[in-house]
Amino acid sequence: MSAENAKHIHGYMAEFTSVDALLAACRRVRDAGYTKTDAYTPFPVHGIDEALGIKPTALPWIALGGGLTGTITAISMQIWMNGINYPYIISGKPYISLPAFIPVTFELTILLASFGAFFGMLILNKLPRFSNPLFTNSRFDGATDDKFFLYIAADDPRFKADGVKRLLTDAGGGAIDAVMDDESSDKLPRAFVTIAGVLAMLSIVPLLIAARMRVTNSSSPRFHIFYDMDFSPAKDAQKSTTLFADGRAMRTDVPGTVIHSGSEFGPDYYSGIDVDALAKIDPARAERLVRFNGQLPQDGEPTGNPPVTPPADEPVTPPADEPVTPPADEPVTPPADEPVTPPADEPVTPPADEPVTPPADEPVTPPADEPVTPPADEPVTPPADEPVAATAETPAAPAVVDTTPWLTENPLEVTRATLEKGQTQFNIYCAVCHGQNGRGRGLVNERAQKIQATSWVPPSSMHQPQLYDDKYPDGKLFSTISNGIRKMPGYSSQIKAADRWAIVAYVRALQLSQNASEEDVPLSARDAIVPAP
Amino acid sequence: MKKNPEDPTLQLPASAARLAYPLIVGGIVMLAAGVLIGAVTSVGLRFALGSYLTAFMYCLTICLGATFFVIIQHLCRAGWSVTIRRLAELFMSAVPWLAILFLPILASLFLGNGTLYNWDSPEWIEANHREWATNSKGAFLTDWFFAVRACIYLGIWTVLATYFFKTSRRQDETAEIRLTEQMQAVSGPAVILFALSLTFAAFDWIMSLEPAWFSTMFGVYIFAGGILSAICAITVFVYLLQKGGALRQEVTVEHYHDFGKLIFGFITFWTYIAFSQFLLIWYANIPEETFWFGHRWAHGWQFVSLALVFFHWLLPFLGLLSRHVRRRPTLMFFWASYILVMHFVDIYWLIMPTVNPGNALGGALGIATTLLCTFGMIGLSVGAVLRNSQNAPLLPARDPRLHESLAFHNL
Repeated sequence: MSAENAKHIHGYMAEFTSVDALLAACRRVRDAGYTKTDAYTPFPVHGIDEALGIKPTALPWIALGGGLTGTITAISMQIWMNGINYPYIISGKPYISLPAFIPVTFELTILLASFGAFFGMLILNKLPRFSNPLFTNSRFDGATDDKFFLYIAADDPRFKADGVKRLLTDAGGGAIDAVMDDESSDKLPRAFVTIAGVLAMLSIVPLLIAARMRVTNSSSPRFHIFYDMDFSPAKDAQKSTTLFADGRAMRTDVPGTVIHSGSEFGPDYYSGIDVDALAKIDPARAERLVRFNGQLPQDGEPTGNPPVTPPADEPVTPPADEPVTPPADEPVTPPADEPVTPPADEPVTPPADEPVTPPADEPVTPPADEPVTPPADEPVTPPADEPVAATAETPAAPAVVDTTPWLTENPLEVTRATLEKGQTQFNIYCAVCHGQNGRGRGLVNERAQKIQATSWVPPSSMHQPQLYDDKYPDGKLFSTISNGIRKMPGYSSQIKAADRWAIVAYVRALQLSQNASEEDVPLSARDAIVPAP
Repeated sequence: MKKNPEDPTLQLPASAARLAYPLIVGGIVMLAAGVLIGAVTSVGLRFALGSYLTAFMYCLTICLGATFFVIIQHLCRAGWSVTIRRLAELFMSAVPWLAILFLPILASLFLGNGTLYNWDSPEWIEANHREWATNSKGAFLTDWFFAVRACIYLGIWTVLATYFFKTSRRQDETAEIRLTEQMQAVSGPAVILFALSLTFAAFDWIMSLEPAWFSTMFGVYIFAGGILSAICAITVFVYLLQKGGALRQEVTVEHYHDFGKLIFGFITFWTYIAFSQFLLIWYANIPEETFWFGHRWAHGWQFVSLALVFFHWLLPFLGLLSRHVRRRPTLMFFWASYILVMHFVDIYWLIMPTVNPGNALGGALGIATTLLCTFGMIGLSVGAVLRNSQNAPLLPARDPRLHESLAFHNL
């Protein structure tokens, strides 16, 4: 301390023993015009900032700026994401829906305002800082206990060693010491640097491994972190198990199971098939329909039901017919695989979208994407059932054009209410793929086409002649809605039977609407027709 | 820093004391005139009672907010607020008066069918038979049970208000520290009772106007508006008292700063609660919940709804954002008065669209009814507060923590 070399002096500090003495000294120093000053106390002292003449902090503005940044970022991010870049209807709200954006906006505003306040405070205080020249003075330790210090820095424009010392003495400060610059090296210890460097390099290794994994193939199984999500003990449909004696993972209905509220209408109503007529042709299948008492045996036209039909019929089938049948429900895809089938022995040719198809020898395994279990009593599943139950008719249909005696009339009374019900249900369940006008241009289809989804089978248009009621009876349409066809799943679990029939009625109305003539319009309403330009 | 309760600067200024009885009498006259206009003209008794309920809930939420303010100061042993606690206690002391003013609402149940509350009308229940039969509200919303519950709520508040006021007054005489400890011990259970009773009162008295509607957050919503406007009312009161020459030494800019922080915080809290209630209902979009907001988005009410967003939240939020505003008593007086007006709009918006869905204001006579009821109720309540202030110093002068509050300093 004695060898006071002006250029090494960092400033002067004075010790005080009470808050009041410190505050009085602070005011004197402030009034003398010093600005590079600071006070150190063991606890916060009210009014010391004012006594030292410290200007109001800019921190509130930083916090405000952070908050506004959060608000603007959150709102524009959400508008961009959900309104512009990937417009997606969520919960029926508009793309840009302010109330839905507010929680995120609120959170981000708070977060960035807090960040602004916290990091702004650190930066304004020049923190974190590991050392301070004051620490070289052992007397300064009292600042954490019972002493108060006032400090005037040497870089203050008014700083003159003698003047400062005199001022501090006059202000009542005891033990006025020069604070010397810390002469010790400010370099980090070598060991610290080395360890940090090694750790930094090691931390790259996982990234490199991950990067390599992304560009290489491996035959070993994936690395599982959470086993429970990857290996569920639950069985998928159509898989076998050792748990049950019969090896089936899925249980069949207990014999005699009755559909809820299913007894009020006969099996015709739930299957779309004239069961009496069926009994004459195929007693086994009819018996099964009846035994379930109206419950649609899950696969309306029991999967491979007439084990006899396909093989027996096929040779008979005049190839000429074939091309006609498939388009019946599928304008685009099927022709490719179907016409090919018959000549060879059908079992060999599974449709493209059927992954698992060694039909003949695998009784238990119908298509993987077929959610419905075939009736238990169906021992042999002939190939015919590959593309979802309903299709069974189509390929097998050929000459026979489907022996099933479908109901040709809608069992519901077709009233305005029925049609409106059908319209509502159609627009809810069908229109997403088939489009509201039934032309097969629903939103899901449009999107699948846009992204060129490879597994996508375009939905049928309702307006192809093959789907008119002379070729495709109401009962069959009902069965298709209930059980699905190709990629289309069955809707029997989602839509009540009455509503499915209402949809059938509405589809007929849709078809009629595309072929109507002026005579179809009631006289009273004809005046309203505006001739096409 | 000892204070003497007899100090003249701690007494209600004479100019204010003179107003007490004129305000009470004028308030009663205006209230009676308001209800009468509704009852005999085309406005209708239902509208008049709705206006009365609006005015009543407006004053009640403020006085209950003040009650909660007092309880919470004791609960957390607050030091800063001692100099202004007596003002909150004076607002609290009007609660027993308001308990009596609830009687007309109660009487309306026995007046006729569904005069104010739809569930009281057999025709309404007949028309909504199916909804009514499938939930248990029918058992809850009956005349006598409603009356019993109202008595319980009003009883709880009267007991709490009287207890805290009397005990604090006793301390003015005796300066016993034990009384402070006793009030702190009571404040824990008191705050629980207060929360439950206020929640159920909000369900009973406002939410059940629309018997089929329900929102579990409704009680908190009423509470948020109440505590917010109670702090505003105390701010306005203390500002006017200082104008009149009282409390000039004791209440400093530091206390205004704290009022500002609390008001700012509770504006945000009110908005948070109001928006949370709205968001869940809006998002789920279930008709049995959304119709309540539907009524407030038709017939011109949508402008009131939007006004709440912009003028009950956004404007005062921005206005009170700055520390410089919060440390200027005049600006604080302005914002506190402003929010007291917006609180009335809030209560009006809660009650009147149900009572009078078709017409936002009810025509000239309707406006007259509303204004008479509102100013009558405010006059009566302020008169009650001033009357109680005449006998009590404006400062709990012998509170053991008074010195903390006098020396209080924000960092």
